[in-house]
Amino acid sequence: MFRRVFRATTGWVATFVVASAPSWAGQAPTSAAGETTPAGATLYAARCADCHGADAIGVRGPDLTRLWGAGATDDRVFQTIRQGVPGSIMPASTAPDSDVRALVAYLKALGTASTAGLKGANGAGGSAAQGEATFWSTCGGCHRVGQRGGRLGPDLTRIGVTQSADALRTAVRRASAAITPGYQSVTLVTRDGARIRGVRKGEDAFSVQILDTRERLQGYPKTDLASVARDAQSLMPDYGPDRLPDASLDDVVTFLTSLKGSP
Amino acid sequence: MTRLAAIAVGVASATIAGLAQQNTGGPTTTDLLAGLRHPERWVTFSGDYTGQRHSPLTEITPANAHQLAAQWTFQTGTMTRGRGFETTPLAWDGVLYVTGSNNFAWALDGRTGRPFWQYRRELPANLTYGAQAPVNRGFGMLGDRLFMVTLDAHLLALDRATGTVLWDVVLADYTVGYSATLAPLVVDDKVIVGISGGEYATRGFIDAYNPRTGARVWRRYTVPVAGEPGSDSWPAGTEAIARGGGGTWMTGTYDPALRTLYWATGNPNPDYYGKDRQGDNLYTNSLLALDPATGARKWHFQFTPHDTHDWDANHVPVLAELTIDGTQRQVVMVANRNGFFYVLDRVTGRLLRGAPFTATTWARELDAAGRPIVLNDGQGTCVPDQWGGTNFMPPSFDPALGLFFVTARETCATYQPQAPKLVAGESSFGGVVKRDPDKASGALRAIDAATGERRWEFAYPSPSMAGVLSTASGLVFAGDNEGNFMAFASRTGAHLWHYQTGSPIWGAAAMTYTLDSRQQVLIASGTTLTAFALPLERRRSGGR
Repeated sequence: MFRRVFRATTGWVATFVVASAPSWAGQAPTSAAGETTPAGATLYAARCADCHGADAIGVRGPDLTRLWGAGATDDRVFQTIRQGVPGSIMPASTAPDSDVRALVAYLKALGTASTAGLKGANGAGGSAAQGEATFWSTCGGCHRVGQRGGRLGPDLTRIGVTQSADALRTAVRRASAAITPGYQSVTLVTRDGARIRGVRKGEDAFSVQILDTRERLQGYPKTDLASVARDAQSLMPDYGPDRLPDASLDDVVTFLTSLKGSP
Repeated sequence: MTRLAAIAVGVASATIAGLAQQNTGGPTTTDLLAGLRHPERWVTFSGDYTGQRHSPLTEITPANAHQLAAQWTFQTGTMTRGRGFETTPLAWDGVLYVTGSNNFAWALDGRTGRPFWQYRRELPANLTYGAQAPVNRGFGMLGDRLFMVTLDAHLLALDRATGTVLWDVVLADYTVGYSATLAPLVVDDKVIVGISGGEYATRGFIDAYNPRTGARVWRRYTVPVAGEPGSDSWPAGTEAIARGGGGTWMTGTYDPALRTLYWATGNPNPDYYGKDRQGDNLYTNSLLALDPATGARKWHFQFTPHDTHDWDANHVPVLAELTIDGTQRQVVMVANRNGFFYVLDRVTGRLLRGAPFTATTWARELDAAGRPIVLNDGQGTCVPDQWGGTNFMPPSFDPALGLFFVTARETCATYQPQAPKLVAGESSFGGVVKRDPDKASGALRAIDAATGERRWEFAYPSPSMAGVLSTASGLVFAGDNEGNFMAFASRTGAHLWHYQTGSPIWGAAAMTYTLDSRQQVLIASGTTLTAFALPLERRRSGGR
């Protein structure tokens, strides 16, 4: 998963290096949202849909159809695309301003058209209080909300802003199907046979950097290791209906979609 | 069980708990007190609470320093025009915690420089002083938390393992002119920070925060209000005192035995125009001795009364024991922007030694109380420029040799004060400075701390803004404005080694620690952090 995203990002940069005219670098956004053009839809499909979904209601990235309804401005959305979002998988864009403006216009039109129809579609219908209790007994060992919880899995403090209810259901039921970049589970075997498990935070040809299952950040030269294996299974188990009944899943997802906090 | 036996058991279990914590937990207040006694760590800005920036490590020596080689370089991808990459990394359990320009920060693998995580703060577009100097000098660290100040004048706690923000509190209103750039100092379960922005109509303060919650424990303003001690050093009945400056933007030091915090203050505002703030302008350009529990002031020493040259006293106050005129003294030492080297009794704040360490013609003598006898205010004949005889870049002190190592700047500038317009959010320097670049040079100087006399110097072609690190093996690491990172012999000043980093070394001082039993020396320069060590093949030590 990590590798795929990386390649997609590299492809994006390469495309614009080839396509760009020299004049756009550093150009200020004169008008944030231009006309809605087919270019906006094409750019969205190529650059954004992988994380935000073909219909923009969110997969790994957040739902983009409700941005203006939630108070976003053209300029704010433009800057978010331009600068990326710190601490998330959203990268900074190197695209020409005209392309970013076309994207903003496309998203704005999309949001205006679809807001009414989508409201409620993301709801999970469970009990947030029950979900919170289940979360802390089941998920909190590896996931953090605010200042509480573990660090091996993604921080979920703002997960209600960045993920749709459907994406959360899938993430719980089939955890290994889509591992968040930066959380690839790895097993390192040292030359003396010791096995170290953790999530991979970085790797080059000669070293690997992990957060191990004791939550210790540690880098390893590969000369000290017999093997570095990317595990097919996420450190997070799949929570099927046997482990988490549908009603409990509804509760947990209801709790998670309510998490919109900032520290 | 006897009382003594009970204490012995308590000590033993504390030690075991400490060992268990070494790998999984972060530094405790005990670890912070131990400082560089654990040379595989660097737990606070200066390495320990003394501010000596002097490591006990001895693997790299004057005999082998010429073999030093770059091990890796980390590229930050973010830079500051006209300023520097001013950070000192912290080291814990093989991981480096590094802050950068524009409020980026990273956890890096000490073995490779590869990042575990990156943090970047979303900064507002209308920064004030933070836009002029978008720098940061480092983290404070306690347990699983890192503490960092921001250009929009907030204090953050980050999770050490993930870089996630745990709490975020406002220090001051950045739109008025405030910013924050220093490395927080963790003392006795408090996070101590100061504020930048003395070039604006601001009022300096030192704050203490609860590391778990971010709640403020105390605030000590550096400029008094009418009626408080020191307020008679400002004109009565004017607003000058309320915007008097006195920033606190360099990390202080701490004496746990005296339970005293030493923290320096910056220039009065406006920087160059003093007519509407007649008087000494306490407690600007001063060293404050504070009670860390309450922030109460124990004593103060003002280096530059009624400053009109922007000669902030924001230096690391260096704590040491010295024998002066046959008497053992607990001292605090400062090589000041005004060109004088000071040794004060750190119990009383009384002057023990004071002598110029530069060729300044502003003043050549101090009176018995430590007040400079000013010869030349710099409006006719030149005096040191507004960056001073040295600046905030950390010096170092070798207690075995009794030598204080400082980057000295020899400059020539004339000052033309003008009454500024005071507008919130706009800088108010109050005049202009004309510098003569052909009369500027620099040097690394070794000062005999007990006498104030110069022992040696190594000359630079231009004034440097690089800090200093020394080691017990007899080495001094320094940098120049042309980009060289250099090693010298502490006793003689002999040049032993240099490496061209490609950018002025500006504001940063080196740090050193051991990783896998191998001494590393790190320096920040431009957009890079580079680690140096002796070549592995010359050593016979086994693996990691």
